[in-house]
Amino acid sequence: MAEGSGCAGPSIRYFCTAGRGLEPFLLREVRARLGATQVEYVSGKVFFTTNSELSKLKKLKSGERLFLLLKKHAAISPSRNKGKVFNEIQKLVIEDPRCWLDIISIWKRLHGNKVEQGNLSKENPESLKRKSEEEISIIRKKQKEQILETVSDECHVEEQKKSVVLETNDDMDFLTERKTLLEETSESRIEKSVDSNNHSFSFRVSCRCSGAIAKVFTSQEVGRVLGITLVKQLGWQTDLRNPDLETFFWIHFLYEVFLVWNLPFIVCRLPLATREYIQTAGLRSTVAWAMASLAEINAGAFVLDPMCGLGTILLEAAKEWPNVHYLGADINDSQLQGAHENIKAAGLMDKIELLKASVIALPLPSESVDVVISDIPFGKKFKITKDIKLLPDILREMERVLHVGGTVVLLVSQDVRKHMGGCISNCVENDTSLNATSDNRNGAAMVKDLNPKEENGSPRSISSSIKGVETEHFNNITCFGSLAAVESYGISLGKTDAFIYKYRKMPAAGMQ
Amino acid sequence: MKLLTHNMLTSHVRGVRPGGGFPLRIQATEVKVNNVDFNQEFVARMIPKVEWGALVEAAESLGHLSDLPHELPPEYENNEDFLRKVHHVLLEVEVMEGILKCPDSGREFPITKGIPNMLLSEEET
Repeated sequence: MAEGSGCAGPSIRYFCTAGRGLEPFLLREVRARLGATQVEYVSGKVFFTTNSELSKLKKLKSGERLFLLLKKHAAISPSRNKGKVFNEIQKLVIEDPRCWLDIISIWKRLHGNKVEQGNLSKENPESLKRKSEEEISIIRKKQKEQILETVSDECHVEEQKKSVVLETNDDMDFLTERKTLLEETSESRIEKSVDSNNHSFSFRVSCRCSGAIAKVFTSQEVGRVLGITLVKQLGWQTDLRNPDLETFFWIHFLYEVFLVWNLPFIVCRLPLATREYIQTAGLRSTVAWAMASLAEINAGAFVLDPMCGLGTILLEAAKEWPNVHYLGADINDSQLQGAHENIKAAGLMDKIELLKASVIALPLPSESVDVVISDIPFGKKFKITKDIKLLPDILREMERVLHVGGTVVLLVSQDVRKHMGGCISNCVENDTSLNATSDNRNGAAMVKDLNPKEENGSPRSISSSIKGVETEHFNNITCFGSLAAVESYGISLGKTDAFIYKYRKMPAAGMQ
Repeated sequence: MKLLTHNMLTSHVRGVRPGGGFPLRIQATEVKVNNVDFNQEFVARMIPKVEWGALVEAAESLGHLSDLPHELPPEYENNEDFLRKVHHVLLEVEVMEGILKCPDSGREFPITKGIPNMLLSEEET
């Protein structure tokens, strides 16, 4: 992961969205992978500055979507007076046209880098042509995805009734896009892209509104205001059918306004969370990566996922930490079959092996595994009322096969967690969502450093509420047998909340 | 199933003596040899985790001993020639179809499409 910042070039301010609860992972990642500075975050969004190449930015594993940060703006108070709000939106363009031009030159530079690398396959204006034909279906899918995204990224929208998200256009339909791109040849595309570097470009704004503002404005209204202002002020051309640039505006009315702008075909048309190496994901890839990143997977380790399902965690881990022997077990043939296909598609056949076995009767010697990592299933497959009785057996078996000093990283749902309370006393809490500071009532144990790379003196600016959680010292160590809880994170899985727990196997009392 | 994985598997049927059920005897009906990139450091790190005798026995039973010595030679870490052989046996030889047999209980575990089925019935655990 530690690759340094690599490339030269001026620093650029970005922001990246993250699933709720994954912000600390993304913070660590942008520092470690990109040498990012001025790293800060609010719920669901991480802001940072880096001069890294786009190719490195695209390797971020715990983020969802990457944006250029156009401008952070003071709050616009939500108002029922349309004219007033439109004026405010216009002002965002008129007052500081410079920053719009600057962002264009940043985009051009990034784009130029892409041309040199000869890797244009994923970002291309040509592909947009087809979009109009498929627009209707895309819009439907978009709406679907928006709902999903609203759940994962924008939970606070619901919490804060007054908050508003305005969005224009987007690059949501990555599946369609990907398919389209595969059908195209590359040569004409390169010409076109180089071309668009050299003359003024056309753009398209389409808009969506959600939250309280949606009751007052339609998405089209807001999009039109922004579009017209940009045309007037900056002389950009609109082209609704086939724009060179498909622009993405996001004005977020919360306590402050983040006016941000993404040029989707350059800063990741595909969401970062899309993995070209994962065919069928079980668990969300970002969560799987985050779990693996906690597990202290060292070269030469033996890593087991005893309930591997489709193998998502193993795939994420094996891509990032390759010199390791991974073993996935499951009792379900169709899951194993799916995992097998995933592993094959990802080209990881030499790293990951599969086994049909039960998590409560693993065919492995005691103390033979360095890392156990697993998503304790819940929902359809795992009936809370009936199967929850197995939970102590599951933990006991994991404890048995693990080396002393080895780690266990588990993802558990809220329901399972409640039952774990029975077998694991005083569950450790490090819920990192913004409103979670009040959730420390059980005062569990944790001393940890979210930023091990911090000693290099890069500035640290994390919102204080989070810092508070980080430095929280707890009183009790929580254990299951010889498994001691090290840390935990509350995260969102969209509809449900879940927790990532990390345990370490301690030497048996008699051996100390 | 690669021999590296085989080397870590034990039979866990009820009544097997502690530390027993290992190594599982392989009766292969289909063996595949894959090309896997050689990573010297990885192989050197895996060797201490491997039951050497069991590995040699398994490789021999499949006819893929590849001149591995019955005793682990000293200072193998920089012996590239040796490590390449171990690499081949551990990672390139793969049992696709066959059975694994518990040396103590005689319980047989089928291997299908490279995946061993180590699932026990309730009475067996």
